[in-house]
Amino acid sequence: MSETERLVFIVDDDQDIRTSLTRALRQRGFAVEAFESARAFLAAFDGSRAACLVLDYGMPEVNGLELQEELNRLQWPLAVVFITGHGGVRESVQAMRGGAIDFLEKPFRQSELVERIESALDIARERHAAQASRQAFRTRFSRLTERETEIVEQVLANPAEASSKEIGLALGISPRTVDHHRARILEKLNVRSLVELVRLATTVGGEGQPE
Amino acid sequence: MRISLGAMLAIGLAGLQFIAVLAVVFSSYVTSERALLDHARELLSDVGTNAIEHSRGFLSPARGAAELSARLAQDQVIASDVPELLERLLFQQLQFAPQFSGLYHGTEDGSFVYVMRDPERDAFRTKIIRTGGGVRTTELIWRDKDYSVLERRMDPADTYDPRTRPWYVLARDKLTTVWTDPYIFFSSQRPGITLASPVLDGSGGVKGIVGVDIEISDISSFLARLRIGRSGRALIIHSNGDVIAHPDKALLKTVDSNGQLRFPDIQHVEDPIARAAFGHLMDNGTVSVEEETLSQFIYNGETYVSVVMPPINDNLPWITAAYAPESDFTQVIKMNRRDNIWIAVLVAAITGLCGLGLANYIYKPVRAFAVRSALISQGELDPAEPLPATYQELENANATLMQQIAARRATEMEYGKTFQLSSRGMAQIDAETGRFLRVNDKVTDITGYDAATLAGMTFAELAHPDDPRFLLFDAAQGSLPHEINRELRCQRRDGSTIWVALDAIMIFNLDGKPLHYVLTMEDITQARQTEDQIAELSRELSNLSRDKTLGQMAAGLAHELNQPLTAIAQNADSALYAVDQLAGADSELRATLHEIAEQSMRAGEIIKALRGFIRRDEGIRSDFDLTDLIQQTGHLVRAEARAAGVKVSVEPGPLPPIHANRLQIAQVLVNLIRNAIEALASTSQADRQVRITARVDNGHVLLSVADNGPGVDPNIRLFTDFETTKPSGMGLGLSICQSIVQANGGRLWHERREPRGARFNFTVDLAEVRKGAA
Repeated sequence: MSETERLVFIVDDDQDIRTSLTRALRQRGFAVEAFESARAFLAAFDGSRAACLVLDYGMPEVNGLELQEELNRLQWPLAVVFITGHGGVRESVQAMRGGAIDFLEKPFRQSELVERIESALDIARERHAAQASRQAFRTRFSRLTERETEIVEQVLANPAEASSKEIGLALGISPRTVDHHRARILEKLNVRSLVELVRLATTVGGEGQPE
Repeated sequence: MRISLGAMLAIGLAGLQFIAVLAVVFSSYVTSERALLDHARELLSDVGTNAIEHSRGFLSPARGAAELSARLAQDQVIASDVPELLERLLFQQLQFAPQFSGLYHGTEDGSFVYVMRDPERDAFRTKIIRTGGGVRTTELIWRDKDYSVLERRMDPADTYDPRTRPWYVLARDKLTTVWTDPYIFFSSQRPGITLASPVLDGSGGVKGIVGVDIEISDISSFLARLRIGRSGRALIIHSNGDVIAHPDKALLKTVDSNGQLRFPDIQHVEDPIARAAFGHLMDNGTVSVEEETLSQFIYNGETYVSVVMPPINDNLPWITAAYAPESDFTQVIKMNRRDNIWIAVLVAAITGLCGLGLANYIYKPVRAFAVRSALISQGELDPAEPLPATYQELENANATLMQQIAARRATEMEYGKTFQLSSRGMAQIDAETGRFLRVNDKVTDITGYDAATLAGMTFAELAHPDDPRFLLFDAAQGSLPHEINRELRCQRRDGSTIWVALDAIMIFNLDGKPLHYVLTMEDITQARQTEDQIAELSRELSNLSRDKTLGQMAAGLAHELNQPLTAIAQNADSALYAVDQLAGADSELRATLHEIAEQSMRAGEIIKALRGFIRRDEGIRSDFDLTDLIQQTGHLVRAEARAAGVKVSVEPGPLPPIHANRLQIAQVLVNLIRNAIEALASTSQADRQVRITARVDNGHVLLSVADNGPGVDPNIRLFTDFETTKPSGMGLGLSICQSIVQANGGRLWHERREPRGARFNFTVDLAEVRKGAA
């Protein structure tokens, strides 16, 4: 289902904008949900699905930039397309720096918007998938014993000195014991080698480190 | 110390009266005492003289009688040898002279006839000694006063011989009448003296002696009868010191070592006062007094006066002496003195009361005058009221006083008019309490409080409640300033805030004590507001670069317009998309929908363009009065000009409104004036002037800022290089000024002044010109 769903959220304080956009996007086969404020959106969505967010820049109370910062903090799989009536250079730079896909000045052509939404959805889906695999890795990682975790940390800290002998020397245990643990680790983390483990951990990023 | 006239009069009239009475009493006391003492001495002197005369008078008949008897016998008028005849003669003589106690006649042959008084039998006794024929008989005969014989008898035991007696011996020796010294008579045991006179025969021989016994106790009786003061005494002292007469006869007899009665001498008499007074007169058994001597002595703590008189004569060497206590004479006066003092007090009190009454009577008009003066000074009495009848002097004083009051009232009236009509608020303020004493109408106008309300208020209560408590005119502050000049915020009665300029000085009385403050106050709220407007202009100028009001408004407007345009465009695209889905779509409908979407986009483009344009031009041009702006700008640079010693004169003529960005024009003006001030400040010249002028010229207003400084260095390329040398701050460079002026439709250029100085001119559009062009 997640492969086919084209979910678009609209957050704009202007009723006419919400109505016209909702109508246009649904016509083109998007699943559209519109909200009149950032609060309403945060209350309704939990970030569990990949989606495109069409976000008005200038709103009372929480404005578009602030909502963007909040979403970045939450790590939701959303890609943001800003729409604005201001169109200042400074604002657009800020928005792009915050990770927005694009910054459309009102009024804009529908084709342009749809194009941006499509690319935004692609990015959102990628983010969603990466998050899912990262989550799976984390789940597997949490099954390691204390000693196994210690060994993984040692390997990640010093990928160049990952032989059983070197690890045993660093942790004060015999290479044989290390070998034993290593087999268990590869099995539990569902990787074929320590090299793959290191690559996986690097892909997942800093967040891959056990807490 | 001040004493009222009433007290002065009372003290003068009553007190002096009292003192005068006392003085008279005291002086009369002193003088009368002296007079009495003199009188005492005279009295004593008289007493002595009296005693002497009495003694003399007492004794002189005896002498006459004795000498008469002797002569009778001598001349044989009676036969001295016939005792009976002689007895009769002597009897008659004795009866004649009462002071005689006895008369007798003795002869050379020893016969003797003696007639004497016998007080015991109230009769006379005769003793006859006969010696005829060698037979001696002694017969005693008692007779009454009629010479009748009462008893007659013989005395065979009698051995008396006259020829051995002292009186006989003395008279026979001296052949003249002699006086014996006083002695105590053998028979009567009374004091007396004997006078003896010889009876001579024809040949000068002595036949016999006649003697007279005189008792002198009568002299003592006389002395006792004399009154010398109350207790004074007189006595007679013989020149041998014997006291022979004394008021107390009992003192006159004493017994000597031989058992014989005799007189006591003055040093032993039983009268201690007499001893003290006269004992010293006796020297070597005699008393000698040459002349009457008055003296004073003290005995037993009491003062006495005394007198001694010289002897009566050679035959009677008797000294009369008298003494008396002084107090006998002064006692009365001493007693009188207390009475006199009481009388004096009484008299003084009565006269004092009379004096008080008199003083009151005299003082009454003065007091009435004083009350009247007080009433007039308090304004409770009209000085024109007629003065009640009073003294001439007070009337004169009143006339002067009325003149003074009239003059003072005139002054007060003038002051009051000045005070009341002053264009500034004026008030008197109590220096002690800080309360309003008096205010003029202007003060009530300024503060909104009426005069009666202000009278109960202090100045501090007028001060604005938000300001720190205002402590002027507050004695609790300690020292009160003599002069106050300041501006402060006050609150009117209606609650509105005003600014007041306050000037106050303290008024002192002649003694240098603070009386009150006189203050003037002026409502400077309007001036303050003008200043505030200038300050606001200054603030706006400094904020000019950040002023984005218009840009923000334009952005908001664009946003608002963009919303519906977006909705239109989207809806048009949606409709177009829907039409495309339909089979056999109307191409004209597609074209129409497309056109709607495109026009929406075009409108958006126009808005974007407009917004961009407004952003570039941040000022708003408007119509305003350039004169006000030039004045305010002049105020704005006044402080800098003063600091630099530059006189800035602003001479805008009457100008029509102009159309420009007000703040930008102000900015350019400030910049040009500052340039001029800085150019002048860098020179040493004393006369530093900047002139700002404005006039209508060829459809514009021409503004000029001219100085008399050194002028612009010809090597400097104005409007480019010069701005790099500008100090930082509010001012802008000349090139920016030029840009601003050009943006407002004018131009800016420089002129060299002759002989020195620079002038910068720029033009701005008139409001009418713009309208005409539009």
